[in-house]
Amino acid sequence: MNKLYLWGIIIAVAMLAATYYTLVITVGDSGKSLSEVMSGDIVNALAIAGAAALVIITTFVVIKYVRQMQDDTADGTLINESWDGIGEYLNDIPKGWAIMFILTLLWGMWYFTIGYPVNAYSQIGEYNEDVAAHNTKFEKEYASITGEKLVEMGESVFLAECKVCHGLTADGINGTAANLNKRIDTKSVKYVINNGSNYSLLGSEIPMPDRSGLFNSNTGALITDAEIDAVSAYVANGMTGAGADVFAGTCAVCHGEDGKGMEYVAPNIVAYTPSLVINVLNHGKQGVIGGMPAFNRLNDKQKEAVGAYITSLSK
Amino acid sequence: MFHWLEKNPFAFAVVVIVTIAFAGLVEIVPHFAQQARPVIGTTPYTTLELAGRHVYIKNSCNACHSQLIRPFKSETDRYGHYSLSGEYAYDRPFLWGSKRTGPDLMRVGNYRTTDWHENHMKDPASVVPGSIMPAYTWMFTNEADIDTAYAEQVTVADFFGVPYNEPIPMKDGSTKIIKMGSDVAEARAMALAEAKLIAQDMKDQDVKDAVANGKIPEIVAIIAYMNGLH
Repeated sequence: MNKLYLWGIIIAVAMLAATYYTLVITVGDSGKSLSEVMSGDIVNALAIAGAAALVIITTFVVIKYVRQMQDDTADGTLINESWDGIGEYLNDIPKGWAIMFILTLLWGMWYFTIGYPVNAYSQIGEYNEDVAAHNTKFEKEYASITGEKLVEMGESVFLAECKVCHGLTADGINGTAANLNKRIDTKSVKYVINNGSNYSLLGSEIPMPDRSGLFNSNTGALITDAEIDAVSAYVANGMTGAGADVFAGTCAVCHGEDGKGMEYVAPNIVAYTPSLVINVLNHGKQGVIGGMPAFNRLNDKQKEAVGAYITSLSK
Repeated sequence: MFHWLEKNPFAFAVVVIVTIAFAGLVEIVPHFAQQARPVIGTTPYTTLELAGRHVYIKNSCNACHSQLIRPFKSETDRYGHYSLSGEYAYDRPFLWGSKRTGPDLMRVGNYRTTDWHENHMKDPASVVPGSIMPAYTWMFTNEADIDTAYAEQVTVADFFGVPYNEPIPMKDGSTKIIKMGSDVAEARAMALAEAKLIAQDMKDQDVKDAVANGKIPEIVAIIAYMNGLH
């Protein structure tokens, strides 16, 4: 037997002994016996078997290559090139290597054409999936809610989107925005009478004329300043007090005797209606207080909910 | 076959460097240029808006407010569509900001109005209960620097080819022209005309008087800038 094998066995045994010795010390520290540790958990036994296998395989693989270096002789035809005196044989490349090379090429082609483009991570893709998942969930949970739940949803949308201007309690924050606890105030009625109004608030394009187009049928003349003051106070006070005759003579034609409006003609000016709120959200509004932008980033259900909430405020 | 290459290592190295550099050039530069092109609907700033942008920078608004909406549902719900790189084409420098003490302002023009900004800048806590933003009362008296804004317009138009006085395609297929004055006097007049439209929607009598007298307070300029952020 070659001397190398003898040395190999000696080294392997020595290393196994060292492993065993380390193990005994470690286990001794933990206060358990070796057999307890080994039987307690299969992982420990596996680790030690692995360590032993490594020692043995390493030793004998090293021996194999050392022997090859000692004994091997190369043969074959040298190719014509010479690199600083170092030659190269004209042998075939190893089969295993060639197969791996071709497989790598194929994988490369697949990766460039299909693998990466189809499976690549995209931030926007993840965003789109996220949005789709949210929308599906929204449809499932909220698309058909009504009544109290719709008002609750409206309140949460209001607190996220509307309270910045209209205030937490929808009081308009000291007149910087419309007070939504009340249908309309005197100032706004006056402004609309004086300037007219056309904000597609009923989904129709029929505008309300300004004061030069508002006749009082009781007097047969254009509405006067005094009449405007009277009717504004009347409307703002919830259709009570003086001014009823002016309202009947001028406004009732479109807004109805009771001020509840007519579909596609004029809005309800006694109370908020969901459709009115939805139209304001769709088109925005410009009035005496200032402008309100359209809120088209709310979806239809959210707009309906806000409508329900605002309507519920002044009930 | 390629023995001669290996016999000339220096030339070989040069050829390799040139090849890789060229590949990089044709691969990276066009993509980069394409990404930096203005998105359809992005328009350059008017003189007044640019003056407002200077006010924004001068007061370090970008220290607390970002102008970058990330592609997350929670952000797009609150602020609108996520930001695209081409939308910053006319921002020099862009004002992404690094931290949000206040909300993002990338598209604030879509959901806030002139009168709201006026109330808010005067006393933020009055319209946003609990707001820690300080009041910016000096903006109501300080005058906006229209001349510097015009100088910047002229510079970016000359140097970067920002398309002033040229039709710019909009999202609905129409075109829009952002005018730039041919001299500083015209630029001032145009800024004042724009300022008057904004002052109409404002309540502060001092500001209204100043605009009527041909002066432009900073608040008007910054509101013009805010309203222009879409």
